[in-house]
Amino acid sequence: MKQHPLCTDPDHGPTIMDLPIAEGLKTEWAELQTRRHFFGRAGKMLGWAAMASLSGERIFTGDAHAANVVPSAQSVRLPHFAPKAKRAIYLFMSGGPPQMDLLDYKPNLAQLYDKDVPDSVRGAQQLTGMTAGQARFPIAPSHWAFKQYGKTGTWVSDLLPYTARMVDDLTIIKSTNTEAINHEPAIMLLNTGNMNSGKPCLGAWLSYGLGSMNDNLPTFVVLLSKTNPKENNQPVSSRLWSSGFLSSEYAGVAMRSSGDPVLYLSDPKGVNRDVRRKMLDAVNEINRQTSQELGDPETNSRISQYEMAYRMQTSVPELTDTSREPQSTWDLYGPDAKEPGTYAYNCLMARRMAERGVRFIQVYKRGWDVHADVTGMLPVLCQETDRATYALVTDLKRRGLLDDTLVIWGGEFGRTVYSQGGLTPENYGRDHHPRCFTTWMAGGGVRPGITFGETDDYSYNVVKDPVPVRDFNATVLHCLGIDHNKLTYKFQGLDQKLTGTTPASVVTNLLA
Amino acid sequence: MIRLRGIKLVWAASFLVSIALLLLPFVFKLDGKTHADWQQFLGRFHPLVVHLPIGLILLVPLLELAGKYRPAMLEAAMFVLSLSVLSCLLALVLGYLLAYGSGDAGAGVARHMWGGIALTIGVLACALLRGASGGPRGFYPYMLVCVLVLLAWTAHQGGSLNHGNNYLTEYLPAPLKRLGVGTVRAEASAFPDSFYAKHIHPIFDANCVVCHGAQKVKGGLRLDTYDRAMRGGEDGAVIIPEKPERSILLQRITLPPDHKKFMPSEGKPPLKPEEIAWIQAWILQGASPEMKSLAGIYVHEEEALPQVPDYSGKMKEIEQTARSAGVTLVPVSRNLGDGLILNTVDAGQKFGDAQLAGLVRFAPYIVEAQLGRTSVTDGCFPTLAKFTHLRALHLEETAVTGAGLSSLTQLPQLSYLNLSGTQVTEAAIAPLKTMKNMRHLYLYNTPAERQQP
Repeated sequence: MKQHPLCTDPDHGPTIMDLPIAEGLKTEWAELQTRRHFFGRAGKMLGWAAMASLSGERIFTGDAHAANVVPSAQSVRLPHFAPKAKRAIYLFMSGGPPQMDLLDYKPNLAQLYDKDVPDSVRGAQQLTGMTAGQARFPIAPSHWAFKQYGKTGTWVSDLLPYTARMVDDLTIIKSTNTEAINHEPAIMLLNTGNMNSGKPCLGAWLSYGLGSMNDNLPTFVVLLSKTNPKENNQPVSSRLWSSGFLSSEYAGVAMRSSGDPVLYLSDPKGVNRDVRRKMLDAVNEINRQTSQELGDPETNSRISQYEMAYRMQTSVPELTDTSREPQSTWDLYGPDAKEPGTYAYNCLMARRMAERGVRFIQVYKRGWDVHADVTGMLPVLCQETDRATYALVTDLKRRGLLDDTLVIWGGEFGRTVYSQGGLTPENYGRDHHPRCFTTWMAGGGVRPGITFGETDDYSYNVVKDPVPVRDFNATVLHCLGIDHNKLTYKFQGLDQKLTGTTPASVVTNLLA
Repeated sequence: MIRLRGIKLVWAASFLVSIALLLLPFVFKLDGKTHADWQQFLGRFHPLVVHLPIGLILLVPLLELAGKYRPAMLEAAMFVLSLSVLSCLLALVLGYLLAYGSGDAGAGVARHMWGGIALTIGVLACALLRGASGGPRGFYPYMLVCVLVLLAWTAHQGGSLNHGNNYLTEYLPAPLKRLGVGTVRAEASAFPDSFYAKHIHPIFDANCVVCHGAQKVKGGLRLDTYDRAMRGGEDGAVIIPEKPERSILLQRITLPPDHKKFMPSEGKPPLKPEEIAWIQAWILQGASPEMKSLAGIYVHEEEALPQVPDYSGKMKEIEQTARSAGVTLVPVSRNLGDGLILNTVDAGQKFGDAQLAGLVRFAPYIVEAQLGRTSVTDGCFPTLAKFTHLRALHLEETAVTGAGLSSLTQLPQLSYLNLSGTQVTEAAIAPLKTMKNMRHLYLYNTPAERQQP
């Protein structure tokens, strides 16, 4: 028998991966190999092999990733059109900020203090278990005064003196609305387009579609801000930055709010960088063998993640070394920015990552779930976030980064105009409210200085230009050069996409 | 003798029918008004029946040709030809009922009508000539060719009435379009930049003009030009400036879609809410032909980017060069004409003037150069002057001082220049002020910024 030209060892012939054939064939092979492995190499038996090929789908393997080989960004060929924004920074206000206390000004509510929200306004809406049992739904007007700011004359609450300074740069959306009334489904919906976990989030879709802009830092980073124990902090979990059915290399890399930003990144005592390198090389070699043997693409993801972690050993210390920031930075962000893990520090990190080619940075600030003691908690929350948010936008603007960076600010839903629990002239609580909430965007791709959408006099229902979550996400993708209908991934028999199966549309009125 | 008289009788009858057909449009004028419902009821079978003569007439030449090999086909040809005459007459009558009953008028309707009449007479003549010569001989074959040409033209006119004038040419491959095949859309307005010309007219054009245009004028209304739209139809003006609530046009497009008078009619898709809002605002604000924008209405328009020369054949070479320089050259989008972005974030300080010079042969394809935090110096400016398609240039946190910055004035498309964190001075950036397209100049943390008042 004639030996194959590439075959040097008769026992270990050339693998498919070595052959000069189309990449698609190799991935197909990898897919088959995974199945074959599952049958414990009993696949040599004709019956098993036939069954394996008949099964077609992954019904036996169970592992979603195993059989899916993700094409590279190059073969996806994105962006679909020239984008205005190359990267995005998402300031996520977890918990649900009360829109009528911050940006959705409702002057007439003052006269309606302690009156019930009319049934005609509430309609047949299902409430959360926390207020459904209330005998009354007394209107709680905002405790704070509003003033007009900027050339646009936008009304802003006294709670946000810094945000007020930049209203002319913002695209405020008062008509964002969601279908979920509780935190987990609502925050999942906003991040992944689906209330159930398991779908890739916005950042993962962006990494998958657009690829990385740099070699030394992840494409998608999540920054968790330190929690204030006095605040009502809802949990955020890695489900929110998961890559779902996409390869795990597209998942967000979460940086911790205290200690090492990334765990186990620094070398243990007695292990220097050379030893680490040697160890990595050995592990990679074993992984490569496993990959050749099993063809599981997730093994390759693991190799690339180890390599990324190794490079991050030098890139992250450089990233977090703020010693060369000019004094003007500290003047802008305020003293909190010097303390790692604070929201202000994370905003500064977000800018530094934007400069270093990170595609998507999501900063989580928890604690907005103000069911009670609004007048006590809101000033704290705003004090923690208002200045830094303004600083980030302003810093990006003066450094020329805002032109191609999209900044997004918002939570997972809004809050009710009626008081949860007792209403007094001094204090009130607010329950979850999905029908309307206020978000804003700024920078690359969106039209500055506008307020879009209107809510009724009670900030209860959207009366003009509603922006459902799917449209919101479609618009974000558009700013980054992506047609949300074209960025799809076949999984479970469906061309999955961030905006889901309900038709979504880009809100062109928001676009610059 | 009897046979001869029979033939004469057929000729005489045919002559009379032809005269009747020719007089029909003058007796029952297509006045653009609707008439009896039964006429419309029968008339709507026209689009169905009309395919009968088309098929039959096309069959005739095939049978004549086949007759050379099988003589029986020749007999069949005469039979089919006779059927063609009858079906033509039927289609013609139904067609006329459709136009007359539903009040169709216009140049396209007229062309289709006269085509149908001429075709019917032509087919009749064919049958007579073939009957007289007893086979495919004499003048008959020439007449048949004329009939076929006429058939194609008439059928096309009919199709255009239903689908619009440029239905066939709309998706014509671009090279053919450039050869002048297809129609050029007439200028609808004297003010091509107006809100009407850019946003209102295209709505009419896409949704209304098939029935309310030059080809078909339902209800006497034409919406293919501004003047005609304002003139209105048989019920008077349909657009009353500043009075959207009284404008029939707006009323009809905002009825419930299943309403008898809803427009666009006959199951065509309704206008989008956004389009209705534009029309409403346009009428409310005076229905002006020249107003460029409307208060409270924002229409997002993507600006077309200047395109770079074709580099699709050099992709491999570009990738190799970039890799060896430790940088990436990334397409702006899947449309390669949008150009490449030079990304040096991984190379950092290893990328300097020499590396930049190494990329100069790809300069015309690069629209954005991200040179921030690299080791480029003032020596980069003569090289950068060759990047003729550059739109954005990042030089933040580099050692440039601005000497030679004036060579950037040779870059006509440069609209973004970031010099933040450099040592540029007010004097150094002075030449940039002459650049017409320069919209974003960043000088944060520079001597130039501090020198500014």
